[in-house]
Amino acid sequence: MTAHPEIKADQTLDCKGLACPMPIVKTKKAMDQLQSGQVIEVQATDKGSLADIQGWAKNTGHQYLGTIQDGDVLRHFIRKSSADEIKEEKKYPHTVTNEELEKKLGNVTVLDVREPAEYAFNRIPGAVSIPLGELEERLGELNPDDDIHVVCRTGTRSDLACQLLAEKGFKNVKNVEPGMSGWSGPTEKNFQI
Amino acid sequence: MSTKVAIIASNGGLFDAYKVFNIATASAATDAEVAIFFTFEGLNLIHKQAHHQLPLPAGKEHFAEGFKNANIPSIPELVNMAQEMGVKIIACQMTMDVMNLKKEDFIEGIEVGGAVTFLDFAKDANVSLTF
Repeated sequence: MTAHPEIKADQTLDCKGLACPMPIVKTKKAMDQLQSGQVIEVQATDKGSLADIQGWAKNTGHQYLGTIQDGDVLRHFIRKSSADEIKEEKKYPHTVTNEELEKKLGNVTVLDVREPAEYAFNRIPGAVSIPLGELEERLGELNPDDDIHVVCRTGTRSDLACQLLAEKGFKNVKNVEPGMSGWSGPTEKNFQI
Repeated sequence: MSTKVAIIASNGGLFDAYKVFNIATASAATDAEVAIFFTFEGLNLIHKQAHHQLPLPAGKEHFAEGFKNANIPSIPELVNMAQEMGVKIIACQMTMDVMNLKKEDFIEGIEVGGAVTFLDFAKDANVSLTF
């Protein structure tokens, strides 16, 4: 019945039929229970929630991924951020900048290790999606001899992914810094609102 | 770092209550520190009995149905939510003296203070509102 393929979220919050400020209040409460990095889908019929959710995310520091519309229902996707996400120390030594990757597009494999919802709303064209949490069990989908450039939002998750790949015998792996948060090259997405 | 929102509630109708508590709960849900100073007729909004049956403005009584249809939470529900999220509620001592009201006449969990109690909070607020 839905016109869109499913986007995976860790939690779905039903705010259908609720008026302002309830969708925001309920989102805040639900978000408090989530762990950093998890994605919530907020379903609302309040038309004001489209602007409100974005303003809320901006002010609370959480990452607004996007909204898709199914009939009267607005489906907002937000990822919970953590303060240490940008402070964590990076360990994998081989990095390239966004600009360097942009020049090599088409000649390298771009591996996007963000959550599926982040990937769905904004990604580098042709990027392969394997979330960091699934990488180890899905290594078979990658070729250890390929030139693999790993990307996430800020370079933290991709750093961990690079370390894992190197450990597993992948020879040509580069971490893209900073990643999608600073990406100005071509992008594609699944949805248009 | 966190945003501070200082609100003065000085009117006692149902519309006034929604203006005050919608902004307050939305702010608190957005991680702002919120205090509301209830003064003069604004005290109705936190009065134990009165806040259950706040009047609509004369001639606007038909909006009661609109509130119901739009599934708007009741004022007591909003007040509860606001308090749960840490909104500070300050009742004006001077008005209470004038109207002969005691702290026990109001909902649980409020503070009673004078103008300076509010000013002390509001002096470095990022947003100040009067309703």
